[in-house]
Amino acid sequence: MKRVLIALLILGVLNPAVANDWKAAQPDYAWSFPRDHWAHAGYKTEWWYFTGHLTAEDGRRFGYQFTFFRIGVLPTAPDTDSAWTARDLIMGHAAVSDLDRNEHRFSEVIYRAVPLLGGFGAWPEPLIAWSRGPAGTPGKWRLSWNGSGFDFEMRDDAQAMSFSLSTRPVKPLVFQGPNGYSRKTQSGTGASLYYSFTRLQTSGQLSLDGQTWQVAGESWMDKEFFTSVLAPHQLGWDWFSLQLDDRREVMLFLLRREDGTTDFASGTIVHPDGSTTYIDGSAFAVTSQARWQSPRTEGVYPSRWRLSIPQEQLDLKVVVELADQENRSRLIGTLHYWEGAVKLLWDGLSVGKGYVELTGYGTSSRPAL
Amino acid sequence: MRRYFVSAMAAHLRAGGSLYLLTILGVALGVAAVLSIQIINRNAIAAFAGSVKAVSGEADLSVLGYAPSFPEDLYPRVLSTPGVQAAWPLWRAAVALSGDPESSSGQADGGMLDLIGVDFFTPVDIPWQGEPGDPAVALSQPGWVALTPLLAEQMGWRAGDAFTVSRGSRLVRLTVGALVDFHTLNPLASPKLAVMDIAQAQSLFGDAGAIHQIDVKLADGADTSAMRARLQERLGPAARVVTPEQREAQAKGLLSAFQLNLTALSLISLFVGMFLVYSSTQAALVRRRVELGLLRSLGATRRQVFALIITEVGLLGGLGAALGLPLGYGVAQANVRVVSATLSNLYLLEEITRLEMTTWLYALGIVIGVGGAVIGALLPALDVARRDTRALLSAFTLHEAVGSLAPRLFGLGVALPLTAAAWYGLHGRHWQHAGFVLAVVLLLTLPLLTPLLVRELCARIRVRGFGLGYSLKGLGVRLQTTSVAVASLAVAVSMLIGITLMIGSFRQTLSVWIGTSIQADVYIAPASWRGTGSDGGLEPHVMATVTGHPAVQAVDRLRRFHGYTGDRRITVSGVEMGLAQGLSRFPFLPGALPDPYEAVRERHGVFVGETLARKAGVWVDDVLPIHTPTGVMKFPVVAVYYDYSAGDGAVAMDLQTMTQAFGPGPVSSTALYLQRGADVGAVVAELQAALPDAPLEIRSNRRLREEVLAIFDQTFAITRLLQFMSLLIAVCGIALMLLVLAREQVAELALCRSLGAKGRQLFGVFVGKGLSMGVMGLALGSIGGVLLAGLLIYVINRAYFGWTIQPYVDWSLIAQQAATILGAAVLASLYPAFRARQTSAAALSRDDL
Repeated sequence: MKRVLIALLILGVLNPAVANDWKAAQPDYAWSFPRDHWAHAGYKTEWWYFTGHLTAEDGRRFGYQFTFFRIGVLPTAPDTDSAWTARDLIMGHAAVSDLDRNEHRFSEVIYRAVPLLGGFGAWPEPLIAWSRGPAGTPGKWRLSWNGSGFDFEMRDDAQAMSFSLSTRPVKPLVFQGPNGYSRKTQSGTGASLYYSFTRLQTSGQLSLDGQTWQVAGESWMDKEFFTSVLAPHQLGWDWFSLQLDDRREVMLFLLRREDGTTDFASGTIVHPDGSTTYIDGSAFAVTSQARWQSPRTEGVYPSRWRLSIPQEQLDLKVVVELADQENRSRLIGTLHYWEGAVKLLWDGLSVGKGYVELTGYGTSSRPAL
Repeated sequence: MRRYFVSAMAAHLRAGGSLYLLTILGVALGVAAVLSIQIINRNAIAAFAGSVKAVSGEADLSVLGYAPSFPEDLYPRVLSTPGVQAAWPLWRAAVALSGDPESSSGQADGGMLDLIGVDFFTPVDIPWQGEPGDPAVALSQPGWVALTPLLAEQMGWRAGDAFTVSRGSRLVRLTVGALVDFHTLNPLASPKLAVMDIAQAQSLFGDAGAIHQIDVKLADGADTSAMRARLQERLGPAARVVTPEQREAQAKGLLSAFQLNLTALSLISLFVGMFLVYSSTQAALVRRRVELGLLRSLGATRRQVFALIITEVGLLGGLGAALGLPLGYGVAQANVRVVSATLSNLYLLEEITRLEMTTWLYALGIVIGVGGAVIGALLPALDVARRDTRALLSAFTLHEAVGSLAPRLFGLGVALPLTAAAWYGLHGRHWQHAGFVLAVVLLLTLPLLTPLLVRELCARIRVRGFGLGYSLKGLGVRLQTTSVAVASLAVAVSMLIGITLMIGSFRQTLSVWIGTSIQADVYIAPASWRGTGSDGGLEPHVMATVTGHPAVQAVDRLRRFHGYTGDRRITVSGVEMGLAQGLSRFPFLPGALPDPYEAVRERHGVFVGETLARKAGVWVDDVLPIHTPTGVMKFPVVAVYYDYSAGDGAVAMDLQTMTQAFGPGPVSSTALYLQRGADVGAVVAELQAALPDAPLEIRSNRRLREEVLAIFDQTFAITRLLQFMSLLIAVCGIALMLLVLAREQVAELALCRSLGAKGRQLFGVFVGKGLSMGVMGLALGSIGGVLLAGLLIYVINRAYFGWTIQPYVDWSLIAQQAATILGAAVLASLYPAFRARQTSAAALSRDDL
């Protein structure tokens, strides 16, 4: 039963029934940048999601993920005289996939968003979000705005991993859906406000087991905030962020029912000039071609896909770089998902890279986030 | 031999039913006495450890404050320490349940609740029963609290029911939000544990910024002691880092003196029980001498005879243990509430809410029963086994043996205490347990002195008829049996009188001390003060109302909390030392500095309670180091005062010194001195009316004194029970001894009958014997009792508790007890006397003539 509160709370995030006092994503949201890079109190959930491929000076290749989640507990903070009074939780997830050594490491934090432990900054201060490091690790995890892109850092001494990266957009910000309104259900009951930087030039330092590399590469950043996304019958999602060598980017997501069939799907094509085309589920096909079973959670994840978008003349094979890129939470027993680096092949040739997120596998419960 | 043993044992049991029954009863009572104390002792520690395990079960280390609480910003420091796998903060308070007429059960009784404020979003293990519901409610619904199912059931509360608790003068309304079953983590966990959100707890109880505990789980493979040192270094002086074992050891340390003394008293009961086994075995062997002689002549070896006797006695011991186990549990069960109240009153520990019989306790009961019986029977068994066949088959009496041994035993009885006294004078006084050695010597001395004293006394009796003189003379003849019964009664009486004298002296001393130190007219303390050192206080508006009463002439504010000098937990009190009316609050031991109340203010010093002074060896002109939030501060000792608190001691300082050293804090309780002529009862009533809802206990001087003495009496209730059990065993001894005499003297009694003695005369003789033994046991026991009281007052109490007790004899109580003892002796002789009365002249045989 322990830690069940956290799990319940996170599951509550996805439950439309709890949405009463929270703001819902609206199609006519008035965006204002850079202010909208910061937190949006009033929406139940918000995340800043960075994934990317990095190469060290010695040629060693890494995939990485860095995410801060804002989990709204209450729409407004209770009127209590205590430094522990919290409206939100802050959760951080970070992972490094050592692609040459076939090794994946995951680190996490979860705290009340209170001055002692973590929280969210306010524009125009550069700090967007921060938290204490995991237990046993000095220092903080931080995400801040550097004027044009984002800087972020994490450290976990128990996992012997840390990175500190700085990003700069190579292509402009794009909305995922008209005016950033991203529908998640046919009926429109679930939706988020969603934008991305699909190509961020990234550089910095990355350490594993005491060895430090100067690294450089490209990242993808997603920012989403919402109050309810999944419909009760939706179990999880497959999400793709793909960077093609021809300067196009593709974002696709498929929300699955319990029987594994797709309930709702949508996507965005970002053209080399930064312009976007929004596509619905009928415009693309994703077929799983191989599976991998997690030895720890027994979740059976797809590990290779055929992805075709006829209108873009795209017929890709998406192949995982490393089978086990499953993030397994040690803090929240029920939380696990697959988040990993993939390569893109077309007729056997490499045509790009990307990241895939797979949630709702290996458990009958709905995904954490 | 084995087959013989079984058939012979059954025959003996049939023939000497009442004798064996008394033996079994004696063993059972001894086992019950020891076992009941052990059950309570072990469960007291287990209750503390159970709650520690339930709350901090996963923790390898706990960070605790030296003061009641410590700043919450230490938490991130703990969290970020390398080697820490998880850490979670806890806010804790003992709050008083004040009941609520609106709750479904109506008025709740005023128990205490151990309220824990937790951060639900840390990896703390909370054993929810069912689903806790929407966590947002736990954070936002004011007063949301999770209770144990047992408490909810006891109080008749269901989810959504509201009730009121208090900490200090602050009343807080809580609402049952969920159930949390700590029993699944540890069956001995207190059912009075309750959990709420840490932010709500801090806010509702006015404690922003403070926490009381951080539990730490270490990374796999981390070295606990190295981590403890590392954390301590990072945290500095404001907090201490302890392992769960250290916490348990500290609780054990606090209770050790209390428990040791109870154990020692219970062992006296066992000791008395062993006398009973001794005399019963002896009587049985005398009766069976021909049978044993025949066995030897048929080829049985000495070893076989010895084994036969010991096995038989061991079996009786086993039966006694079988009876003593449930009896001991029953006694423990009947007394647990009182002892538990004592423990939480005096030592501020968890209440014992249920008793658990462990395998160890069962084993202890059996070992005590069988072992005690075997040891009791050892001497007579060896004696009989050593005799040759001829000696066994010819008639003999053991009484002659004791008769000739009596002077030597007496010599030993004189030499033993003298040696012990010399040892104590030379070396022993520096050893804490020396008092118990002296007490054991004293209790061993009594049986050694008894045979000669009884013999000499009886020898001086001139028999002028068939009355008391005849009874006494008969006792002197049957010395071996008589002296054992008298000795066991003397030991029990020693315990009874010794402890009665000690308790009486202590009560009188305390009463005088109260008279000196409790001088104010009205005392006001929050209800939660009964709890485990709650750090809540009287809020300013309460103080304003109280001090603003027109009849108040002076106000004595007391701020009190638990602090530490070294590893010793002490009570630190702050009072206004300059208060003119309060100059007798601390009755000082000789040697205080001149004008101590002024000196303690000017020097920023402390008065040290006698208990602490003796335990820590700190006296006037020494300095006492005390942990403060900024580090260890040394306070000069200005005076030592008589202190009768339990635990590790107390110090008092001026309120201003306290604020400088520990920072500001709430007033814990207050005392009012009224204008001359003011009606105390009326003022109390007016204050209660002015603060109708405040959870306060407003007492007059007289009521407070009464309550202090009531707590004192409660503390010694279990001691009185042990006295009673010991006396009961001794009385069984008398009955047994007289039964033996009735049996042994059949010929003599039959002769008396044939010479014309009437049945009622024989009855009178036997009652006379019982009474005589009672008188002798009482006389010897009284001497032993006075000496034992001296040991308890001057040696044992001082060594373990550091109390100075003035001797005092409550003659009427002693007379009452003497009458009880004699009455019991007469009662014990009624059945044997009845048996003797039944003897007819026809029982006289040719051999007897």
